[in-house]
Amino acid sequence: MNQPIHQDQFVIGEGHAALSGMCELAPSTIYAALLTDDGFDIVHVSRTQTEASRFASMSSSIQALSDAVGHELRIGDSEYVIMGSAQGHVIQLRIPGQPIVLAALFQPHETLGKALSTARLTAERLAQRLPAAASAAMAAPNF
Amino acid sequence: MAEHVILFAGPMGAGKTTAIRSLSEIEVVSTEAANSERHVVDKATTTVALDYGEITLGDDDKVRLYGVPGQKRFDFMWAILKKRARGMIMLVNDDAPDAVQTMIEYLDDFRDLYERGGVIVGVSRTDLGVGPGLAAYSAALQAQRPDLIVPVFTVDPRDAGQMRTVLMTLIANIEMRAMLAPAAEAVAP
Ligand SMILES: Nc1nc2c(ncn2[C@@H]2O[C@H](COP(=O)(O)OP(=O)(O)OP(=O)(O)O)[C@@H](O)[C@H]2O)c(=O)[nH]1
Ligand SMILES: [Mg+2]
Repeated sequence: MNQPIHQDQFVIGEGHAALSGMCELAPSTIYAALLTDDGFDIVHVSRTQTEASRFASMSSSIQALSDAVGHELRIGDSEYVIMGSAQGHVIQLRIPGQPIVLAALFQPHETLGKALSTARLTAERLAQRLPAAASAAMAAPNF
Repeated sequence: MAEHVILFAGPMGAGKTTAIRSLSEIEVVSTEAANSERHVVDKATTTVALDYGEITLGDDDKVRLYGVPGQKRFDFMWAILKKRARGMIMLVNDDAPDAVQTMIEYLDDFRDLYERGGVIVGVSRTDLGVGPGLAAYSAALQAQRPDLIVPVFTVDPRDAGQMRTVLMTLIANIEMRAMLAPAAEAVAP
């Protein structure tokens, strides 16, 4: 049996490097995490008190609900999700080809454009570093 | 026209998603994700936010069906969806380790739905023949939660007919309790 992604040391190591790179690209990053589609924290970097496992579960719910909305409106899966608030914004998106979500919290002064492009770049870089996921792991027969 | 909102709760793999897919007359809203922990419960996907479906019973009883994720780490979804519901079908997979005690724990977690409407327990996956079977659940309820009046059935969530029976029993139970409730209040000092 394959090892769960959130316990795979290779994925954790690559993920940590990718998230650290992201914080360098965008110093406004307050919190960044990689989580499995079903909401397990894989790795996170943090400058704040956040309960990592709870945030991971919530992010995966949001991701799945966004996909459900995309399906309902017949616009396909969500490419990214943005949540804005006075004290920061959250951006999350899938790592292409992997059952993994990147979720990050940025300081409110950061422009959405910069935050989004940084998150995308990080996701793409990580995707290149990870071996292709087994298709079974990606197949969530929702619809 | 009566409207009901019914929650499907219970542990991972009990068949909540399966039950809503069996019952719903509309295309269900699903939030399945690949299951990372197949060594815990061996199935391909798990619910990470909710299931949603609808069914009409009789001429005009519209029932909204919400399923919650079974895993406790999604209990924030329990809190959100609980507020909407007036009744609950608690599914328990008979073949899971410690299934009887798990039922008691989940019933405690959703106790407010019992107070507000009604609850019914459906024991699933009994056909696999590895669990303690129906009587063990009724006995545990009577011994440990004697104040609860909760019907217990075996049910196969894959079977729409069986699920309809359970659902109609729950709704009858909720309506009966609603009818009796004002009378009970009237005699209270
Ligand atoms: N043999 C047998 N299989 C069943 C029965 N009820 C459900 N199943 C199967 O058990 C599995 C239940 O999975 P789900 O419906 O995803 O369970 P769930 O309660 O939604 O689980 P989570 O969303 O992960 O909490 C499915 O593969 C069903 O086909 C039953 O009575 N007998
Ligand atoms: Mg489910």
